[in-house]
Formats: sequence, C-alpha cells, structure tokens
Amino acid sequence: MKRFLETGNFAITEGAIMAGCRLFAGYPITPATEIAEAMSAELPKVGGYYVQAEDECAAMHIAVGAAAGGMKTMTATSGPGYILYADPYGWAIGCEIPMVVLNSQRVGPVSGITGAPGQGEFYNSRYPTQGGNYETIVLAPNSAQEAMELTVEAFYLSERFRTPVTILADQLITDGLEDISVPETDEEKEAMGLRFMERKVHTGPEFYPPSDEIDIPPVVLGKGTGAMCSDWTPTEEGYDIETVEAQHKHSYRMIYKIRNNKDIISRYETLFLDDDPDIIVAAFGTPSRTVKTAVKKAREKGQKIGMIRPKTLWPFPDEAFSRKSKYLSVELDYDGQMVREVQRAAPSESEVHFFGKCGELPTVAELHETFDKLLNGESLSRKGWEREAW
Amino acid sequence: MDRLSDKYLRARKIPSTACSGCGLGQAHKAMVQAIDELDMKVNDIIWGTSIGCAGRQTFATWNGDNFAGTHGRVYAIARGLRLAIPPEMKIVLTVGDGDAFGIGLNHLLHAARSNTQMTVLVCDNLGYQSTGGQFGWTTPQGVVTDSSPYGMSEPNWVQPEMDVLNVIKAAGATFLARHVSMDGRALVDTCKKALQNNGFSLVHCVFPCITNFGKNALGSRNAVNMFNWIKNHAAPLGEEEENPEIFWRTGIHYDASNSRTEFSESLREQTAEIQRRYKDEGSH
Repeated sequence: MKRFLETGNFAITEGAIMAGCRLFAGYPITPATEIAEAMSAELPKVGGYYVQAEDECAAMHIAVGAAAGGMKTMTATSGPGYILYADPYGWAIGCEIPMVVLNSQRVGPVSGITGAPGQGEFYNSRYPTQGGNYETIVLAPNSAQEAMELTVEAFYLSERFRTPVTILADQLITDGLEDISVPETDEEKEAMGLRFMERKVHTGPEFYPPSDEIDIPPVVLGKGTGAMCSDWTPTEEGYDIETVEAQHKHSYRMIYKIRNNKDIISRYETLFLDDDPDIIVAAFGTPSRTVKTAVKKAREKGQKIGMIRPKTLWPFPDEAFSRKSKYLSVELDYDGQMVREVQRAAPSESEVHFFGKCGELPTVAELHETFDKLLNGESLSRKGWEREAW
Repeated sequence: MDRLSDKYLRARKIPSTACSGCGLGQAHKAMVQAIDELDMKVNDIIWGTSIGCAGRQTFATWNGDNFAGTHGRVYAIARGLRLAIPPEMKIVLTVGDGDAFGIGLNHLLHAARSNTQMTVLVCDNLGYQSTGGQFGWTTPQGVVTDSSPYGMSEPNWVQPEMDVLNVIKAAGATFLARHVSMDGRALVDTCKKALQNNGFSLVHCVFPCITNFGKNALGSRNAVNMFNWIKNHAAPLGEEEENPEIFWRTGIHYDASNSRTEFSESLREQTAEIQRRYKDEGSH
C-alpha cells in the first residue's frame, strides 16, 4: 500500500490508471485541470496517451473514439465543459461504448464561481444528452480516497454495462488535500473492495440483442469484425433504420440493462437508522461530511437523527428511502435537486424538506439550527426566500 | 452489383437510398476504386461517416468496420480512434459540406494541425439538402435556396480570395484537392494520392443534388441539366483564368504528402520513449 497526502485529482488519476485507463482527453478547466495535468505526466509512463483537445466537445469525442477502438478511456471537466459533452455522451450511450467521465462540480449556472463547490449537475448527470430513452450510471464520492475507489468502480461498471459512467464530484473533492491509500497488490485491492474488468471485444458482426443482458462485450472498431456503430437508431445488426419497432428495441436495451441490474450498481451509506429516527438527512458528496458530523453531534445531544448518503446518484437508490420519516435533503444548490428524488422515493406520508447552500459547505451550527426547527415543526423558509424553494 | 461492390461493399446497402439522379455515388465509387487500385483490403480501412446525405448514404456500405459519428465531430472521433487502432490501418471519412466546412470546421482544422491520418472525402451538394435544401458554406452567391429565397447574399468558402482549402492548408493539412464528381479518372487518381498520405488528406468533391438544389437554384429536376451546370462551372487549376463563371478550380491544390510526422505516430513514439525511460529508472 502506498500512502500519499495528495489531492482528489491525484487520487482519481491513480484509480484510473489502476483500472486500465490508457487514454485521457481533456480541456483545461478549473477545478478539474489537475486531473489533465496528472494524466499527461503519468499516462505515458504506462504506455498511455494524453490528448488535449480544442474544446470539451472534441475532448470527449476523442475519448469515445479511442474507446470505440478498444481502449479504456476517460475525460474530466467541470460544469461549463460538461454541457459541451452532451453531443459525445449521446454517441457513447447510443453506440453503447464504455468510458468514464468525471465532473468536478463548481458553482453555476454558466461560469459562475470557478473555484468553489456546487452540486447543480445532479439532474444534468441523469440526462447528459438529449432525446431520453436511456438510463445513466452516476457515482458520487465524498473524499479523495473514495474518488479513487469509485473511479476504479466506474471503469468496471462501464465495461459490464457498455455505457459511459459518470463520476459526479465537486471542487472540494478534486482540489482538497487528503490522506490517500493506493493499493498495490491484488490482496490489497480486493480488501478495498475494488472490482476490475478487462475490455473484451464483441465479435459481431451483429450489434446487440434487444434484451437487458449485461456483460456482452462492446463493439470495437479495427478488429476486423465488420463492426458497425452509429448515431442513428440501429437494427439488431447495427445498420441505421427509421422504424419505431427498432427504436423500441434499442431503447428497451439502453433503459433496462441498467434498471434490471440496479443491484450490481447501487451503493449508499446509512447512519443511525435503526431506532426510527425523527429526521433522516440525505446528502451526497462533500456536504455529506459536515452532515455526518452534525448528525453525530445531534445524537450526543439526544436528538434522534439519522442519515443516508447515496454513493450512486443514478439510478437513484429509492430503496434507501423506504422508511416513513421527516426527510431533509442537504445540497450545494439553492433550487433543490436531489430533494425531488427523495420526495419521489419516500413513502407518501413522509415530510420532505430542503436545505440549500452553494459555493461553501453548510456549517454544523447551521445544520443544528435546521434540525431544531424541524423537530419543533417550524418552517425552514429563510428570510428573503418565500419558501424552502424547490 | 458490380465488381467493386462485390469486393468492398455490403449488398444490403447498395444501391443506397439516394434520390434518383444524385451524384453522390460518383464520388463514393471513385474512393472505392482508388482503394481497389491501391490493392487495399476490406480490413485495411475503417470507414466513418457523418450526418446528412453524404453520411447517411455511405454509412455501413463498407464491408469492413463502419461508424457514423455526430454532426461535425467525426474528425475528433477519428483522432481518438487513430490512437487505438493498428498504425497501418487507414481511416476514410465521407462527410458533407455542412459537416466539414460548417459545424465541424474547428475540429477539422485541429485534425489538420495535428496531421492525424484520415482521408476526408467532402461530398459537397452545395448546401443542406437532406433537410430540404437550405444554403450552406459553399452555395454560390445569388443562388435561391429554401433559406435564401431572395438569393444567397453571403460570400462562400470556395471564392478564390477565401478558399477554404487555403484555410485548411494554413492549418497544417498535408494533402488537399478539389474535384467535381464527374471528373472520373482524375478524381480516382486524386483519391489514390490522398490515401497514400500518412497524414491529414482532404478531397473536396462537388456533386449534383437534383431533388433540392436543382429544383430551387436551377428551376429544374433534370439530372443532365444539373450535371452540365456543375461541369460548366468547373475548370482544372490554371485553366480558370479570370473567369467569374468558374466556381470550382479542380485538381490537387496542395501535396505535401508524408512530409510531416503523423499525429498518432509521433505520440506513440514519444510515449514509447517515456515508457522506456521510466522502466530503466525503475520508478513510476
């Protein structure tokens, strides 16, 4: 085991290379630039390539293009670059090409605040491209260490599910300096729960069957298999076609390969849920760390408060929210995004509330004030904000 | 099916669903014939296409590996793919004028800058024809289209003082040519040269669209009429003199084939060198 005091950006690079990533295409953007820099230094040492593109749209297309040629690839960006990924996301999802995308969320919309954390791409990551008819896999680490581990997991899932897997991080995770343990031996990797899968080659010449099957190797160009992949609705052989029957089969596969195998993907952490808590707080990413401290301290004061931290945002872990309770979603946005999913997933008689902040983390004191209000049945709406606002 | 089709193309996709009288097949066939004359095999080439008439009608016609990318982005896809596939394989792209000279021009210039091997055949039907016939970036001035009902007022990329091939040349391309689809033998010979450049090659080929361009601009869907119209507005380089009726100066505009290192080759070499260095030092 190697130990480092390093940034999340470094940890992500270590995880990617460990998982077999051999091409990274990027475009400089705060706060994800250091991933590109680390990749440009580390990849050539293991025979991999760093490509810097003219924009994020090209960067992800380069990464998908190399993935279509059989390489494990990755790209990373932040909000303003993430929206330029919309085009290649569609191609990768539709052609069912595995790769990994990381978004280190900052404050938006548009350029917003560059060097501060946000969580405004919660829904964006669910629908990263247009047209619907697909499910996405999105993982959300809350530390540099977990960012490394979930990067490995993202590569693993992308191979099994033939789809781009997104890591939704935030500025504090990628920029933050933390203690990181990097496993070296197979035993250490296994003990850390890391899973790996090599790229396999679809032997074609057909595309994919209209089923929810996973573990079918992806189409790879350049292997002489007569492979075909395109942006159009495919026939089962991979030819382009414009019929609703073919679209139905294609969509079924893109949706149900993920929905019907959710148990392989879903991960979440829970805390103090066994005594029927009065409040259950939901948070992901960096704010989940202050939430955890606040919940533990509230317990010391005798308040019955529990916590759920989704590590997979999409598919959303509905099963974690099966208890009837008072839910509080704490997020780094003012409009309230995950709270809507909590509202949908929670039993109908539950109360669901929202606490939002952006650009900086909620403090333990702020959270305690919020818990007290909820326990006393008071409204959470703040001065100047007419409602909880979601 | 003819001999070339049997040897290189998929029976399912030939003939294509192109409109009757379309000239795209001339350009497509010239490239396949060039491949045949160079004695290349089906698995020597990955064929990529894009959106619109040129992309849709040529996608999956190749009897080997095929892809169709997003509109204007195939040059970026090809840059990534180029690093993943064996160096000796060639990437051939058939794209439209909107793709290469409009939405994808930035990516195309960066593919040229990096001299990434791809043989780009820009099949130019003088505008956006699969969407019904709007003007594009090579539509001659004054011409009536569905989106220039009073005549195309903007300058275009083939005017001598602002020829897009000069832009791409300045960006670093190593082989550039222009033809009209009825150039026959000359077009095949040009495609052969383009394929033999281990770098960025682009062949711009104007072809007739009877259905929309012919109807709107020439007032006729008579195929012979439009074939003649294109021929009458084209002349080999050096023979066009100062004739304003000549839109397309045909032939090889620039040939610096194999004069610069190809993108993936240079990155592979640098990577191998770095890898060796770190192996020797035993550090990571």
